[in-house]
Amino acid sequence: MTATMVAPPEKKGAARSIEELISNVSASRLSTWSQCRLKFFFRYVQGLHKPKSASLHVGSSVHAVLKYWNKARWKGEAPSLKQLHDVYSAAWSEEQGKSPVDWEDGSEDEERKVGWRLLETYFRESPIQPDEKPEAVEVTVEADLARHGLPKLVGIIDLVRAGGRIVDFKSSGKTPDPEQVGHLNETQTTAYGLLYRESTSKIESGIEIHHLIKTKNPKLIVTLLGPATENQTTRLFRVMEYLVH
Amino acid sequence: MAIILEAAYSKKLGLPNFSSHSYVVSIRTELGDINQVPEESSKLYKMLQEAVDKEIQEVGFMPDATQYGMNGGNGHQTGHNGHANGNGHRQPTEGTPITPKQLDLIGKIVRENNVDKNEVENLSVQMFGAGVRLLNRMQASNLIDELFDQYGHKNGNGHRGKYQQREQTRS
Repeated sequence: MTATMVAPPEKKGAARSIEELISNVSASRLSTWSQCRLKFFFRYVQGLHKPKSASLHVGSSVHAVLKYWNKARWKGEAPSLKQLHDVYSAAWSEEQGKSPVDWEDGSEDEERKVGWRLLETYFRESPIQPDEKPEAVEVTVEADLARHGLPKLVGIIDLVRAGGRIVDFKSSGKTPDPEQVGHLNETQTTAYGLLYRESTSKIESGIEIHHLIKTKNPKLIVTLLGPATENQTTRLFRVMEYLVH
Repeated sequence: MAIILEAAYSKKLGLPNFSSHSYVVSIRTELGDINQVPEESSKLYKMLQEAVDKEIQEVGFMPDATQYGMNGGNGHQTGHNGHANGNGHRQPTEGTPITPKQLDLIGKIVRENNVDKNEVENLSVQMFGAGVRLLNRMQASNLIDELFDQYGHKNGNGHRGKYQQREQTRS
């Protein structure tokens, strides 16, 4: 038998009551609930969080640059790679300041390069044109579902492309299985579709998941999904109902 | 065999300040003979049109354009006429217009940071192609994020903290 020593979870947030946790819910909270009740309990009720991983640090820094790039296009600006790299470096330092990662010797530089290579790949291969103006960027939205006897649904949508195309950015260490992407992300994508409809009165034209894959040769995989279906919405409501009751 | 004839007449008229109102009257009647349809239809059309025209002259509630939807106004977002717009201007707010809370928050940022209202209005037009009061909830939320980015952290009034809470919505 082998035993591995791992750092104990750090307690980041205050413990929250069940009433507070079910007064409004997010897709990630629902997904955690669906995955494992104990995980939900530790993370949300007890407020325990695992120490931030290198992978999450890279993902957050990459995400910050994508947000900057999307906002720049909104303002009709076309930032250079140099500017984007500066944003990346600043985001990296800010992340380290907010929640430091305990880097192994020399690994921080290596991970930093991995993140930047991911971004270079993204800017080279993105289906989004440099002059495409977004409909929304990193937008906080909520849906009052009281008429269904359900709590308020809240979320932040990474990007809404022109024409109501919802985009979610994900960085990952492995290539997603195309047959499972839709299923694995159904709670999140359906929630985003619902949130978009509730806050605009329009139906999304589709949902795209942009996977930035951190393999030796980074790659971008874009999964196109249709608008959330009635069955998917019903399933989402069932999960919410199960959490609340 | 009885013939059922259904007729409806509706009219939508523009009003000042990008408003409009509409009214519809419908009727269902039974005819003994299908040959009566053309004559009955003409009669119903005239009758329904007169009925609609008579009623639609009553405009009903009309908001004060200098106060309505502004901070400190009455807070209502829709009047009796329902639709915000029907005269060719863009109408992104159907169904989910910017909420009074969102308007209040924008007003608060403007006041506390001494921001020129026109600046905010221009930013809204630049981002969404419409003025603040014509935004839908999603657009308003994004505008608020942008305002927090630009002004919210300047005076340490707690807005930034609130923004950070919004960021944490992810969890």
